Amino acid sequence: MYRSTFLCCTFIFIFFIHSNQGVEIPEKFQKSNHTNNWAVLVDTSRFWFNYRHVANVLSIYRSVKRLGIPDSQIILMISDDMACNPRNPRPATIFNNAHEQINVYGDDVEVDYRGYEVSVENFIRLLTGRVPPDTPRSKRLLTDEGSNILIYLTGHGGDGFLKFQDSEEVTSQELADALEQMWQKKRYNEIFFIIDTCQASSMYEKFYSPNILATASSLVGEDSLSHHVDSAIGVYIIDRYTYYVLEFLENVHPTSKRTMSEFLAVCPKSACLSTVGVRRDLFKRDPDKVPITDFFGSVRPVIITTEPINIIDIPKRKKTNTNKSATPEKHEYMPQFPMHLLQTTK
Amino acid sequence: MSIYRLFWIIFISAYSVVRSDDFKEEMYIKPLPPSHLYTYFQFITIVNHKSTEHSHLSPRSLGEVISRFKVDELHLTLTEGQWRHHQWGYPVLDAAPGAELYAWFATDVDDIDTQWRKLTSTLSGLFCASLNFIDNFNTVIPQMALWPTGAVKPIQNITSQLRYASLPREIVCTENLTPWKKLLPCESSRGFSALLNSRMIHNTKYHSIGVHVRKICANKDCTDTHLEIKQTVALVYDYKIINSMDWSFRKLFGQGLPGACTLSSASTIYVDVTTNSSHSFKLTPSPHRILQSQRGASETEFAVYDIHNNGEMINIGAKYDSKYSNNMTVIIPPPIYFNRYVLGYGKEFGGIVTELVNNYMTAIDVVLLENAPWWLPIQLSSLRVNGEANNKLVIAQYFSPGRNRQKPYHLELLIKLPPRSTTTVTIDFEFVFLKWQEYPPDANHGFYIGSALITANLPTAKQYSSLPISGSTFDSIINASKPWYPAVFRTNGAMVSLPTPDFSMPYNVICLACTVVALAFGPLHNICTKELILKPVGTPVSLTQKLMNLLKRKKD
Repeated sequence: MYRSTFLCCTFIFIFFIHSNQGVEIPEKFQKSNHTNNWAVLVDTSRFWFNYRHVANVLSIYRSVKRLGIPDSQIILMISDDMACNPRNPRPATIFNNAHEQINVYGDDVEVDYRGYEVSVENFIRLLTGRVPPDTPRSKRLLTDEGSNILIYLTGHGGDGFLKFQDSEEVTSQELADALEQMWQKKRYNEIFFIIDTCQASSMYEKFYSPNILATASSLVGEDSLSHHVDSAIGVYIIDRYTYYVLEFLENVHPTSKRTMSEFLAVCPKSACLSTVGVRRDLFKRDPDKVPITDFFGSVRPVIITTEPINIIDIPKRKKTNTNKSATPEKHEYMPQFPMHLLQTTK
Repeated sequence: MSIYRLFWIIFISAYSVVRSDDFKEEMYIKPLPPSHLYTYFQFITIVNHKSTEHSHLSPRSLGEVISRFKVDELHLTLTEGQWRHHQWGYPVLDAAPGAELYAWFATDVDDIDTQWRKLTSTLSGLFCASLNFIDNFNTVIPQMALWPTGAVKPIQNITSQLRYASLPREIVCTENLTPWKKLLPCESSRGFSALLNSRMIHNTKYHSIGVHVRKICANKDCTDTHLEIKQTVALVYDYKIINSMDWSFRKLFGQGLPGACTLSSASTIYVDVTTNSSHSFKLTPSPHRILQSQRGASETEFAVYDIHNNGEMINIGAKYDSKYSNNMTVIIPPPIYFNRYVLGYGKEFGGIVTELVNNYMTAIDVVLLENAPWWLPIQLSSLRVNGEANNKLVIAQYFSPGRNRQKPYHLELLIKLPPRSTTTVTIDFEFVFLKWQEYPPDANHGFYIGSALITANLPTAKQYSSLPISGSTFDSIINASKPWYPAVFRTNGAMVSLPTPDFSMPYNVICLACTVVALAFGPLHNICTKELILKPVGTPVSLTQKLMNLLKRKKD
């Protein structure tokens, strides 16, 4: 405790010396309202043959986590258990590749919504913040007007809808309305929306809220295709679009200067076999100048002060009134069996 | 430098005076001949109860949950696989397949049901499990089967503070282990928890993680209590999966043990070497000491390792004597074991049968708790014990009928199992149609019924490895002879297939009906609205005539 206070003091002292020399705040920091980053990553399909969708969503999860968004600000929704599925010959792993290059599941994963919890209702409630009062913090999207949100959806879709769990679907209009509600409630600063499904671009066509950059793995009328089969598990292991996205993101580091336009061109038609759709008209900034870490990384809240802060003077906690005068009550271990019932019968 | 060191020494000594918490890690390894190996970890944090929030060892997130919801005792387990009592004997702590949660609330909690719902949804966030699916419709209040294991104030009605629920469908994977490990003071970097590599421990026949919170006596008179937080992991390895009978930490966990957790006051490994007489094996490195334990009439021998934090990599292993590797093993079943299955065919009626086998020479009293979901109504009138409706073996019974979408069916029986006998408890159920939206997305997979609880008062400690109630560390089982050995077991779960509609039927009907309507309506509409006029067939008209006709029409 004393040691940490000492360290803090030295740190502030050093900072103070520096600030005397004058700190120039770069112009772009002053203009941007962006203060924090969140990610909502959703896999909507159940059943073993949809293994690839879980691999898709975990690829993005791995990348955003590696680039600095903490687990508490990632909402991961996975509809079915693939890692510990009895059909998986390599328990507790999900690979992006039949050669087992990257275990996208990893050793440190926190799934916030899983199994039957992944439903249209829960997804819309999460986005709009209208969750039941007892919902734990890890299942809430606690964003504000400074939040940049990355939304990634994968599953089976069609023209204007995305299926959830093979039993219900969210339409593009519902999604657009949910995003508008978020905008009106000041729940975001900017959104980057990615969707990897068939006829994916139909999902963002109805959007009408500002500050949304959207990209989709295929245009209306096109199918999004999967990458390759892993013969050990017998099903397709990942989708083409996300496979190339992961390949690209693996080479991005928190300090790298890649821009969003590079990300938008990540999967040409020759690789994806479908046309990647992009919608820029709602987004005010030029994707050429937006660093990729605006959505995939994390901004730590930084407060720049020129005044030294005196933290030695800690306000004392109020002592809670504990009833120490109460007479100690006797406790006891109970018999682990209804002995009283036995004794009466004897 | 020396001043700094002096300061540091003062700081540490002051710190150790203040600290009232204690952390211990223990591991218990028991071969289950002929083909399995049981590994059990327990991480015990004992907190001075007055200051859960100022504890430096207990997980703050869990401590807040316990103080906020006024929980006196809590047991949560997440399990994959089924413990085979018949083959493997008894585990230290049994757990139901899937998720199981039960808790006693403090006596000053007014609305326990609301508090229980809040607790479950909070824990669901803490352990990444779907515990928020626990609601009134799948919660029971056991009357005889469960008793608090902690020290409680002697009050009249402790069962009214209890809530029990299980989710047999819950899957258990790394996402549950990750937050579980984060509750430990050393997390997964040091100590025994470094062995819990998710790829290895999920490649087992049975794995179960648990958190057990209770109050233990702080002094001899038990006028004060401490909070005990026990985190457990139970694993059963199959020799076929690790490819040999010889085991070592490297084979089981993928790596050696990197020393003890710095914060633990004791790190001990116990290897049960009782089976060494029949299946001879040699432990490497050799144990630090051997402990003999006489508990009731059963004798157990433990090889004990005290692990220190000296940066040494420890790889404990056993090598079986090849002479004995082909020995046939006779499995001696434990005093009681059980089996449970579903009866019936068709989609109208069925039944659940629980067979309880008493293998011991005296009668054993057990409590059987059956917990049937609301969509599987069981009727007390159909209860038969050994085929008789009013069997004298039943000493006491409790039945609480369920209500659709609100309350499960709950039956408890206190039965005296006669010596060397099999007792069959049968109860019939009928299938219920669910509403359209109540079917899960994979309704054709089937519906799980939770395990039944069996609480037994064992007269013998044969194959019994649970700790005595007053003990918290593993050494408390040494020579812990008691008149009774209480244990709570879980039977296997079961699965039924409810009458499930063809979900594509409405779509098919709509398509078919539309086609039929279109085919019928089109011609009918044509006939009703259009007039058929015969076109006069005449001589071909000349071009001038055509022009004249056109002009005439315009004039009209």
